[in-house]
Amino acid sequence: MKRKVAIIGGGQTVHASRRHDVNQGEMVNEAVRAALADGRMTMDDIDAVLLGNMEFFEGCHLTDCWLADATGAYGKPGLKITTGGTVGATTIVAGAHHIASGLFDRVLCIGFEKQEEGDSSAILSGVAHPLYGRSLAGAAVGYFAMMGASYMQAFGAREEHSAMVAVKARQNARKNPYAHLKLDITIQDVFDSKMLAYPIRLLDMCPTSNGACAMILADEKTARERCEKPVWIRATETAHNEQFELNWRDVTNTRPIFSRVCAEKLYKKLGVENPATFFDVFEVYEPATWAELVWYEDLGLCKRGEGFHLIEEGQTEINGPIPVNPSGGVLSTNCIGASAMLRIWEAALQIRNDAGEHQVPKDINWALTTAYGGTNWTVMTALSKKWEDS
Amino acid sequence: MEIEFVNIPMVVDVPYRFAAGSYMARFLIELRDNGKFFGIQCPSCGRVQMPPRIVCAACHIKNGEWIELSPTGTLMGFSIVHLPLTDPTTGLPHKTPYTYGIVRLDGAYSTIEHFIDVEPDIQKVRVGMRVRAILRPREERTGDLNDILHFAPIGEA
Repeated sequence: MKRKVAIIGGGQTVHASRRHDVNQGEMVNEAVRAALADGRMTMDDIDAVLLGNMEFFEGCHLTDCWLADATGAYGKPGLKITTGGTVGATTIVAGAHHIASGLFDRVLCIGFEKQEEGDSSAILSGVAHPLYGRSLAGAAVGYFAMMGASYMQAFGAREEHSAMVAVKARQNARKNPYAHLKLDITIQDVFDSKMLAYPIRLLDMCPTSNGACAMILADEKTARERCEKPVWIRATETAHNEQFELNWRDVTNTRPIFSRVCAEKLYKKLGVENPATFFDVFEVYEPATWAELVWYEDLGLCKRGEGFHLIEEGQTEINGPIPVNPSGGVLSTNCIGASAMLRIWEAALQIRNDAGEHQVPKDINWALTTAYGGTNWTVMTALSKKWEDS
Repeated sequence: MEIEFVNIPMVVDVPYRFAAGSYMARFLIELRDNGKFFGIQCPSCGRVQMPPRIVCAACHIKNGEWIELSPTGTLMGFSIVHLPLTDPTTGLPHKTPYTYGIVRLDGAYSTIEHFIDVEPDIQKVRVGMRVRAILRPREERTGDLNDILHFAPIGEA
């Protein structure tokens, strides 16, 4: 990037199944106010506002227009972004590009979803190809179910391993005051939860959350002048998969699919040889338990087929050597338009040492985040505490 | 004082018309009229892609030769679905539990997802299982993927 870009503020709402007390604008404004307070700024300090959410999930298009009062966009340039579950990360990438290019110095990025107002499953079915797969689509549950079945068959993992991911996420969420599912559960509780689509049970899946996240990005000069703990956006990368080829559900597939391609490109930009030691914390986008195990492998934290050993050995616990999703992740909170931004914000909090009870108990210098868009593309970001060459 | 929350129910009903395009149309017409599966081969990487499409995503060159595929294939992944998900093309929920899977037809690079005609029991279904496409009778076929009833296991009790 031509200019350095830093995260200089951010905030989130509490996340819950029901927010009848607020409308979309009122909920978004909670996150915007939290971000401005964190960045010690007012809207007068903001050059542009970027808003991300899913298309029509709340029964309303052009949310950038309808929410202009609440987002603070009145009288300012801005745009709306929708890229699927990745949207929160894409919005940050777009904000970073606008600053890196020199067009703006301070950009407010917002991601939100108020899922209770619409029918996410019905609208999501419109994501599938109208002729090829829509009528039979098993939705996100069906896709991850097939990934789980494929994973167990190929690598000898068992349902206990996915249940360990479910437990880790919700136990971490209990330490995160903003998380939705703060559940004190055990592996047995996961097994006792309702089977949705074998091998996915209710506790193997993310919840349907309402919530918002907002972040302020800035150029280097602003960041150094106004922020005590800027978090630097060191690299971002996006990679798509082929249309119609949902081949990532077959874990034995060896083609260069989106997740592996994206990680490889990002690592090359940064000169990362061993991601498990280079990064101090990971916030990955895991709508289902099996997805986290596959992320371990696609990110190169272990060899192919060995992801389930990482969870079994406790390596990805909050106090383990490779902490993954100390926030509780998407499994604990999924307000879709904000979910990918929350990965980045939570990673930034870890770097700032501001995560509170779910702070990873070691020095965090580098963090990596991922996202899923339609589960067929990803957006990754790498963040750091210092910019070594300055 | 207790606060009253106001929620106003609304329904959005959206009709639309999907243009299949020349490649998808030929695929659907072959399936409907002749009960055959066709893929299209990339002249560069050689992958036989189904449904057929204008360009190979990997090589970004125009796909060339139409290849008839076998109605038999291998189960690459499956699930037994207990959640009564709505079929958006009918508005009705699928009857649960049912077995659902991804199948790679012999000779194809791509996979297709559909119902698998086995009892919804994890002992009765496995990755790697050989299956065959069972189509609706000719007169019932309309030119979409529902012309396939399901995939049925071959040579397994």
